[in-house]
Amino acid sequence: MNLTPDQVSAIMALLIPGAAACLLPLAAIDKDQATQKWIRAAMFFIALFALMGCFFYVTSLWGKGAQPSFGPVRFDRLAQFATIFILITAALAVLQLWDHLHLEGWVKGETLSLLMFSVTGMILFCSSSNLMVLFLGLELLSIPLYALTGTLRQNHEALEGGVKYFITGAVASSCFLMGAVLLYGMTGTLDAAVMASIMPRLGSDPVMLIGVALLLLGFLFKVSAVPFHQWTPDVYEAAPHPISGFMSVATKGAALFALIRIFPAALLRQEGILQGKVQAALILVAVLSLILGNLTALTQTNVKRMLAYSSISHAGYLILGLVAGTSQAFIGMGFYLVSYLAMNMGAFGLLTALGLAGDRTGYDDLRGMGWKRPELGFAAILCMFSLAGIPPTGGFYGKYMIFRELVAQGHVSLAVLGVLASLVSVAYYLRVVVALFLEKPLGATAGTDKPHRVASLASGTVLVCGLLVMLIGIFPSLLSSAFAQRAVQESLNLLK
Amino acid sequence: MITAWMNTHLLSFLVFAPLVLGLILLCLPERLAPMAKLLGFLGALAVFVISLVHFLRLGGYSYVENLPWMTLVNIPVDYHLTLDGLNFWLVLLTTFLTPLTLLGTWNSLKERAGLAFALFLMLETGMLGALLAQDLFLFYLFWEAMLLPMYFLIALWGGEERRYASLKFMLYTLAGSLLWLVALLYLAGKAGSFAPALMAQTAQAFPARVQGLLFLAFALAFAIKVPLFPLHTWLPDAHTEAPTMGSVILAGVLLKLGTYGFLRFALPIFPKATLHYAQPLAILAVIAIIYGALVAMAQKDIKKLVAYSSVSHMGFVMLGLASLTVIGTQGAMLQMLNHGISTGALFLLVGMLYDRAHTRMIADFGGIASRMPIFTFFFLVVTLSSIGLPLTNGFVGEFWILNGTFTSSLPWGRVFASVASLGVLLGAVYMLWMVKRAFWGPENTGEHSGTGHLSQDLNSREIAVMVPIVVLIFWMGLHPQTFTAISERPVAELLAPLQPSAPTQLAEVAR
Repeated sequence: MNLTPDQVSAIMALLIPGAAACLLPLAAIDKDQATQKWIRAAMFFIALFALMGCFFYVTSLWGKGAQPSFGPVRFDRLAQFATIFILITAALAVLQLWDHLHLEGWVKGETLSLLMFSVTGMILFCSSSNLMVLFLGLELLSIPLYALTGTLRQNHEALEGGVKYFITGAVASSCFLMGAVLLYGMTGTLDAAVMASIMPRLGSDPVMLIGVALLLLGFLFKVSAVPFHQWTPDVYEAAPHPISGFMSVATKGAALFALIRIFPAALLRQEGILQGKVQAALILVAVLSLILGNLTALTQTNVKRMLAYSSISHAGYLILGLVAGTSQAFIGMGFYLVSYLAMNMGAFGLLTALGLAGDRTGYDDLRGMGWKRPELGFAAILCMFSLAGIPPTGGFYGKYMIFRELVAQGHVSLAVLGVLASLVSVAYYLRVVVALFLEKPLGATAGTDKPHRVASLASGTVLVCGLLVMLIGIFPSLLSSAFAQRAVQESLNLLK
Repeated sequence: MITAWMNTHLLSFLVFAPLVLGLILLCLPERLAPMAKLLGFLGALAVFVISLVHFLRLGGYSYVENLPWMTLVNIPVDYHLTLDGLNFWLVLLTTFLTPLTLLGTWNSLKERAGLAFALFLMLETGMLGALLAQDLFLFYLFWEAMLLPMYFLIALWGGEERRYASLKFMLYTLAGSLLWLVALLYLAGKAGSFAPALMAQTAQAFPARVQGLLFLAFALAFAIKVPLFPLHTWLPDAHTEAPTMGSVILAGVLLKLGTYGFLRFALPIFPKATLHYAQPLAILAVIAIIYGALVAMAQKDIKKLVAYSSVSHMGFVMLGLASLTVIGTQGAMLQMLNHGISTGALFLLVGMLYDRAHTRMIADFGGIASRMPIFTFFFLVVTLSSIGLPLTNGFVGEFWILNGTFTSSLPWGRVFASVASLGVLLGAVYMLWMVKRAFWGPENTGEHSGTGHLSQDLNSREIAVMVPIVVLIFWMGLHPQTFTAISERPVAELLAPLQPSAPTQLAEVAR
């Protein structure tokens, strides 16, 4: 088989992390202590190197404006944007993992390999409108994540979380597959873009509706929207902090980018009963996510669980963007996701950077830490205010853009609900700030602590995240018009 | 070259110089706190001097900066700052109060004073930006930017209940501004711009119900900031828990942004809705005047008393605005300045007292006058101005407001004026009663006596803070035209479409 350069460049972004993922386990051979130290460093280096290589490759494609495709794999601007998003998240997670795994005393090779496989799956997931390829991507991204949740397998909770995630995830995946099969049966094609032209002829066939609903369920599970959110808090709590951050950001991002790609084409843009029903379902999901996510987050005493519920509520805001359903709203979602990447990786990274491994992730464990590490505390404040959507941070503009389109489309009451939800969220994000700066450290535990390992890499990532949140907030038009807008508009035009 | 740049970018300089200075202070380590304080004070003083010199030279009319900034979701946002008659004196009040407050609270904060000074300067950026911004999105950004430094000032240096008070402050203010944001988005979407003039045009065409709802969303955000009864409950908590520096600027400038917002944005964008809702606003303002005064009378804590007197005084400002007459609005403009200076000064004085005695309970004092004669002199002058004694600033503002309300076309306008004038009387009662109990009489020698700690009268630094304030109090009382001449025309233009005879006048102009 002869591959044209165009075809090769279309799958290059998949090959680089994939190859790294295959290489990494080879390095994880047990050796004596002294060599192992070097091998570990080499593994992290390989992973970072692969991510960076891929990053530069994709940015060069973006710069050239090339949009190669290979069969169903369409590596267009939207896919490139999503890939860059995923790669940055993964790189931050790898940097944090180095510190985190050392804190936990559990540095093994497979973690990085699994992470890279998951990255490969996510890139695949975002770069096709063919339902079968999407399913492949979905499985390739999910299965490593199940295992990653149980990384710290000496803990009972980690295993429990992994199994829970696996079982629920498998159900969601099979629903996705069933939906794809039903749609294939009705339309005779697997390509969502082609389906778009066939669907109107089929009208409001109930089988169609079931197919779409099942497909949607698969996506919403990955986004962790209510009512498919039950796994989220347990899994986030069980997984290592960087992996939780990676799951919350990259998985959500990949699923939403894929939705942006196939939904306008195949599902939302159809007139008639289908559109109304899908939109009604999305409104219901978004409203439930906002209410449940925010109210439950208020009652948490554990920062990781709070962040898990907050990630459910952020899924709600993002789905509101789908409800609005215009290309401007999708641009807003892309923008929102990028700022979410910065603020959420910053929030999870903070736990690692402060040396809070294991289950020491309550608000009490954060007490007074802000004054000990003022630069981290400052970055954390930025991330928290951004999560709460207070200007002038990136999180504000993301919400702004989505609410703006909602209002323009006539969903004023949804926008009001959205702002009220973010008002509630201020209360629990501020608790982190209060714990960091306003409370005295607990005297009893301070003495018994092991001397903290200085998590310099993780601290660096937190600072970078804080800076990013601020930069997005100060120059929002750069991200929105130079990147998000081109990604969404050029790709959606292609599909039309 | 620098002067040329200054002339064209003065407003940007004023807005962002404090921010830059604040960021520099933020980076200074803890042990350099004295240097940080000095740097912060001198910087703020420089900003004041520059603003004063430039404003007076050019009469305040020629400052506009208008650049396209960015386009967000198809709506252009302009970087549009303007200095005009409506905000001229408020801007000067801000730049004046900032160095004064820093000087007045020089030694009040024992811990991390450098950080507090830095936050305070950032707060100045937010306030100046909000006062000068003409683009509503820019205004919104600065409006929210004021929130964070104030939150941290209360949360980090506040009293016992600081966590509760700071969270309440944050949630209240955000609740108003977030709903307002939705209204803003709706309006901007229809108008395709954030410029108030275009919004006003677009809003004209809306059905009355929609206009009313949008006006209410605007009014809610501003009324919470003022704060108007019954949305005032965050204020006493915030004032009582905040450090002196926070209280002064909160009373001095932050509250004014609420009334300023009404005048600058809500009124011109929704003239019809304003006419419709002027009556309820006036009723709430009158309730605030009387209720604030009555509650102030019952307070045991001097600072809380001053906080409730703020509610009452800001009620006067709202009443003046709601009268929709030129004289009432002019009175409101003047009263904003009066309140900023008198109440700011009262909080400063209470802070000086607290620094010495470590208590603010009226019952712990008695006979302060014999211990601290200079302090008592200043306190009395400021008290009298707060009451509104003729010759001091308070009198003119309140008189104009009552005059405007009495002659306004509001139904029940005369009743409002009469009831509100009771508030003036009550003001004298609670202030003088407090002075009588705390300052006169025999020295308190009880167990918790605060008077016993008052071994030192005001030092030269504190006198230096109070002298300019006293000068201003009499200046404004004797020659208020200095402060109101500039706003006369803009206010008249603003209110022209709201007068009952407006349609005929407009028709004449058109002919």
